[in-house]
Amino acid sequence: MKTKIILLLLFLVSVCGFSQNMTVSGTVTSSEDNMPVPGVNVLVKGTSRGVSTDFDGNYSIQVSQGEILEFSSLGLKTRTITVNKQAIVNVILDTDIESLNEVVIVGYGTQKKAVLTSSVSSIKGEDLAKEPIVNATQALQGKAAGVQIIASDAPGAASTVIIRGLGTIQGGRDPLYVVDGVLTGNINNINTSDIKTMNVLKDAASLAIYGNRGANGVIIITTKKGRSGKMQVSFDSYTGFRDILSKVNMADASSFVTYSNEAALRDLLNDNDPSNDNDTSGFFPTNQQYNTNWLDAISRTARVSNYNLSLSGGSDNIQAFFSVGYNKEEGILKDNDFNRLTIRSNVDYKISDKLSLSQNVSAQIAHVTPKSFNAFTTAYKQSPIVPVREEDGRFGASVAFNNVGNPVKDLFFQDEEQKFFKLQASLKMDYKIIDPLVFTSRFSIESETARLYDFQDRLGSYLASNPGNTEGNFEGGIENPAKTRLIVEHRNNYRWFLDNYFTFDKTFNEDHTVKLTVGITAEENRSEFLKGTRNNVPLDSNLKYNLGLGDEDDTQLSGGSFTVLDRLYSLIGRVNYDYKNKYIFNASYRRDGSSKFQKGFRYGDFFAVSAGWSISNEDFMQDGFFDVLKLRASYGELGNQNVPFNVLNVTTGSGGFYAFGPNQDIQQGITITGTVQENLSWETTNEVNIGLEYTLLDYRLSGEIDYYQRVNENATLELQLPDVFGFDPFNSHVGRIENTGLEVLLNWSDNINDKLKYHVGGNFSYNKNELTKVTSPFFNEQTGGNIDNGQYTKKVAVGQPLGSFYLYEVAGIDDRGEFVYKDLNNDGDITEDDRKFFGSYIPKYYFGFNFGFDYDNFDLSVDTFGNFGNVVYNGKKAQRFGNENIEQKTFDNRWTSGRPSNTTPIASNDVPLSSNYYLESGDFFRINNITLGYTFPSEKLGLFSNIRIYASAKNPIILKRFSGYSPELPGDDNGNPLKTAGIELNAYPTLRSFYIGINTSF
Amino acid sequence: MKNLTKKSIYFGASILLILGLTLSCSEDFINVAANEETEGAITADKAPELVNAVYNNLNQWAMSSFSWNGVSSMTSDDADKGSDPGDTGGDKNLLDALTFDATTISFDEVWAAHYDGIQRANQAINRLEAFDLDPTLKSRLIGEAKFLRALTYFRLVKTFGGVPLIAGIPDLSADPAQLLSRATKEETYAFIETDLTEAITSLPEKSEYPISELGRATKGAAKALLAKVSMYQNKWQVVLTLTNEIIASGEYGLTPNYEDIWKEISENNIESIFEIQARGETPTAGTQGYSVTQGARGAGGWGWGFNTPSQNLADSYEAGDTRRDATIIFRGETLFDGRLVPNTVVNPMYNQKAYSSAFSDAWETGKNIRILRYADVLLMNAEAALATGGDAATPLNQVRNRAGLGDAPVVNQMAIWEERRHELAFEHDRYFDLVRQGRAGTVLRALGKPFVDGKHEVFPIPNEQIIKSGGLLEQNPGY
Repeated sequence: MKTKIILLLLFLVSVCGFSQNMTVSGTVTSSEDNMPVPGVNVLVKGTSRGVSTDFDGNYSIQVSQGEILEFSSLGLKTRTITVNKQAIVNVILDTDIESLNEVVIVGYGTQKKAVLTSSVSSIKGEDLAKEPIVNATQALQGKAAGVQIIASDAPGAASTVIIRGLGTIQGGRDPLYVVDGVLTGNINNINTSDIKTMNVLKDAASLAIYGNRGANGVIIITTKKGRSGKMQVSFDSYTGFRDILSKVNMADASSFVTYSNEAALRDLLNDNDPSNDNDTSGFFPTNQQYNTNWLDAISRTARVSNYNLSLSGGSDNIQAFFSVGYNKEEGILKDNDFNRLTIRSNVDYKISDKLSLSQNVSAQIAHVTPKSFNAFTTAYKQSPIVPVREEDGRFGASVAFNNVGNPVKDLFFQDEEQKFFKLQASLKMDYKIIDPLVFTSRFSIESETARLYDFQDRLGSYLASNPGNTEGNFEGGIENPAKTRLIVEHRNNYRWFLDNYFTFDKTFNEDHTVKLTVGITAEENRSEFLKGTRNNVPLDSNLKYNLGLGDEDDTQLSGGSFTVLDRLYSLIGRVNYDYKNKYIFNASYRRDGSSKFQKGFRYGDFFAVSAGWSISNEDFMQDGFFDVLKLRASYGELGNQNVPFNVLNVTTGSGGFYAFGPNQDIQQGITITGTVQENLSWETTNEVNIGLEYTLLDYRLSGEIDYYQRVNENATLELQLPDVFGFDPFNSHVGRIENTGLEVLLNWSDNINDKLKYHVGGNFSYNKNELTKVTSPFFNEQTGGNIDNGQYTKKVAVGQPLGSFYLYEVAGIDDRGEFVYKDLNNDGDITEDDRKFFGSYIPKYYFGFNFGFDYDNFDLSVDTFGNFGNVVYNGKKAQRFGNENIEQKTFDNRWTSGRPSNTTPIASNDVPLSSNYYLESGDFFRINNITLGYTFPSEKLGLFSNIRIYASAKNPIILKRFSGYSPELPGDDNGNPLKTAGIELNAYPTLRSFYIGINTSF
Repeated sequence: MKNLTKKSIYFGASILLILGLTLSCSEDFINVAANEETEGAITADKAPELVNAVYNNLNQWAMSSFSWNGVSSMTSDDADKGSDPGDTGGDKNLLDALTFDATTISFDEVWAAHYDGIQRANQAINRLEAFDLDPTLKSRLIGEAKFLRALTYFRLVKTFGGVPLIAGIPDLSADPAQLLSRATKEETYAFIETDLTEAITSLPEKSEYPISELGRATKGAAKALLAKVSMYQNKWQVVLTLTNEIIASGEYGLTPNYEDIWKEISENNIESIFEIQARGETPTAGTQGYSVTQGARGAGGWGWGFNTPSQNLADSYEAGDTRRDATIIFRGETLFDGRLVPNTVVNPMYNQKAYSSAFSDAWETGKNIRILRYADVLLMNAEAALATGGDAATPLNQVRNRAGLGDAPVVNQMAIWEERRHELAFEHDRYFDLVRQGRAGTVLRALGKPFVDGKHEVFPIPNEQIIKSGGLLEQNPGY
């Protein structure tokens, strides 16, 4: 027998000897991570000749010119290459996304994409790695339908993420993030280069297993794992610079003087005192010494650089991935810096055929020098006739004529440092009990520490803010004033999780596939803070953060507290069933017991049912037009447990005590000024989703269409009872918020030939948001969007979308150049009742359009994003009064007696009413990213297995209608719709950035 | 075999782990202890504190200070707005001129603050009734809360007429019309009388309290308040009986020198029946802004200068009436404590009864606000005696003699009413007294105030409250 084989081999070798006139060798790598792929079958097409790649992805095969090599491996797209004269053929294989076996990470497990009946958007790590991205949520913008990102370009800032519309006012608005199974509040600590996949779970079918934290959507992040084989080292780096994408042209000194003097004249003419009408004594002289551009004075071109090193390797039984990343980001405000160091170690151990363990540990250290974004508004408003510094070196001041600070001085005296440390770690065990039954146990912890230092040179700031201030007058001349003050605050937050669940996955009779997941999870978290304040800490830069050096007196303040333990104990379950991948039924369930709520209202049941029909798997579709055609529908109920706390705090101390007795000794008092709704609990959202997935034209055209309606049935709203009840405003489940939407996704990708392949894709999202019902007559139509001058701009009301502006309506400009407001209720007076709704800052429509191609060694990708159907408020302009600067356009178009205007009123120093005059369209379209890369041919690389260099432009072009710095306005308080979201006030401008970068591996 | 054992151990362990966690500690696990003082912290040992917090409401700005002065004092012929002409204090010019309407903000503040106090009293009564407590203490504490609730409703009924009567912790699921609709004036008075009758039964006399509890509501205070409430309903026999009882109790008497009554040394003295306690020393527990808003304004002054005595009041005293100088600070005078009120202050006169010597410009004054005094009881007694054919002269002359005046030349209704004006000026009595006497229109119109009969006897229900009630609160006629 042995002899026969040897003979056969000899024969083959000799036969082939005639035509196999050359040896081709090379390395096969995966496009996903640029890592070599072992075990790829390399076959000469039409023959039985073939080899496999070795441990390092290398192969060598005898071929004749003109023969075709076919490279195939499970989970990767098969590629064919015609052999010409080249001796080295390096091949990059793409992941086979159309593969039936592709799995999607879902809550507490995975599911095959082919039998997925829920709406999930996926972003691959390889797409994130190709361009510079610090926070991965930025990369979702324009890439995932139904996921709205309001980005901020501030250093280290996270974006506001709204999945399928804002569904709550009082409750938490953020989606839940799940990083390798650890449930967390943000991913600011995650190095984008470490991400393997990022999935956005959008509908109830996928979210119900996260129970009372699922209502805002879930973003699941999986980090990279080690791969067996020789250790691979990757080094990636980019560097670049950023500046303001579109600036607002402010009036210069001469325009400012003209405008301000006209405004002063208006005041004189309007004061009913004819004697002073010609009094120009308070006017600004026209020959001004300075002409300051305040934005230039506070901003800079900011540099950004990023370095990332990762190692991956292992044996059959142990695979390890290790990475270290460093990101240094400057803000465009001078001295506003953000530095982040991340390290990660992911190790998988296969202990036996039945038992495997995996461990993930990641740590982040961040160091931030914050600067207040108020400086942007101050720079907008400060007059150009004020110098940054006087000739004697003092900071310029405008105390004589307006209330605006010197923004350069403000930044100079803001002396803060913030240090953050975050650790996430988990240990997971999978144990195969009996073949299809696997038990998984995972224990995870997260610990986050912030150390905040705020040093205030109070005397220095006082002296600098007004030339008339002297040290003797400081603090009214009191004895031992607090010349400096240091506030040090430490915050800590920890969580732990324990997940235990069983998974059973079996196909019966080849047709019936059943997958069951059942388990329990428990978690706990708590935060605490400690804060100390001391006065008169020395000014020296090396001593100023030392609390111990301050005055020891009884005015020093310290504070601290810890939160109530927040615990959750839950039961989870899921059933997936499919018949021949054709008829699919899924159900999932979670029972949450939450310590947040009062007894009797702690346990919530959340569930979803869904069904799918893979029409393309029907016999009658086998020769059809579609490669994949799947219809799916789901219904489920989700919760949001981050509702305002329902504990009734007592009023004590000065709110309750009273003096009795001849010496008027204080006796303590206690009372309750509020009421609590005992049933205050999670908000329940139910959602219907109908979707269609399609792939056609030989897998080249693919897409999804989803329609959803999600209803928060019992949104908490603030009620204000009439005062006869004597209760403070309180929260109650009285609202109903509806989001209805449509998502369309369409992608085309094709390989023209071996060298050229391209893809074009687009997604479109529509969402209609409305507070449809309030069941209590005592709903306090909460107003918000206060712009710090006594004017509010927003209101929550039935029949309106959340975040709606509620303003006076300008009818025009009268013959005196003044605004005329519409008297909407025709009562002859302009009062509160004449305000009306003008729509929300949250867009109704948003879309992304992306394309890219690879030609030979070049790759190009372009991503765009746009939104329309929203309005934004020009808050800084609406705040301008009393001798503050104006925009050049306001100056040019203003009404004057000689040149009436019907668009811009007369020069004025009044506090403006909040009107639709300051409301502008929020529509914009922007090129988010253009990246051009070049991958060096591998035969020239020597030591390296891969080198790619690229140049990238972020936000190079924007088409917008808003006249301010940025139509993307996340606002204060983490995107609170009742704060400055959608209002440009103290807001960070949109930046454009240009980078060059390199990806290498060896 | 070895593998099997290992497998069994893992399997068994994991099942146990799951079962153990699921069954044993799920409920315990999520049962966490609160770490803040919450509702549960109010236990029986805090019973007196619940009532103290009802008293505390009397010290609040909106309850007893600026707005209340505007509504109860500046509206009358005794007082003017005062201060700089341009400083309206928000709306005090409108109150002074009787040109206010339902949107005038002081009414809304007064309304809300009074109902805050009622809510506190209701919280206290409701919880006290459930506590297992010494019956005497429990009865006394409930009596105090009811006295305070009655005092508050009495002020409301005088100010607005019949008001919604909230007697317990409101059931929010009940029909709001039940809670928000106004009771009639008669129903409101009946409610107040019930509270006071119960308070009289359960409260001790002033002398029966331990000295450390000085300042709490007493049986005498409840009787005096019920007498006054009865007087507003012309129940003269009741007024006479109650005032006679108070006089006979021997608990009270007159302060020899009228001016001394408002000095720190006389707080809670023999004449005091009920006063709002105010502590000026740190930690302060005083009435917010009471003294400083009424203090002399301008160079050499110490306050905002509101609620100033009117020329009409100053001119109305008989010669030799020591109450004129005790009630009014005149620009240029030197006060009892040696303070010179310089001529540079803005207004010619200020309210001396609000002057706190030690805490003149402090936000929380040390001045106890006198609510019920023995002199008031004597004058009620006189008026009741006159109405029922008894001896009105004795009590009336007691009050006059203390003020340095001789016996009344004529003892009639007008003599008693004028005596009330001089005795009780700036004690939040005048406007309501004029309305009670049925001559507010005549008196105020004579001074140029546009008093409309059938309208200005009560003030408007605040517009804001009507809106918040969804229109369930009915506006007073004429507004």
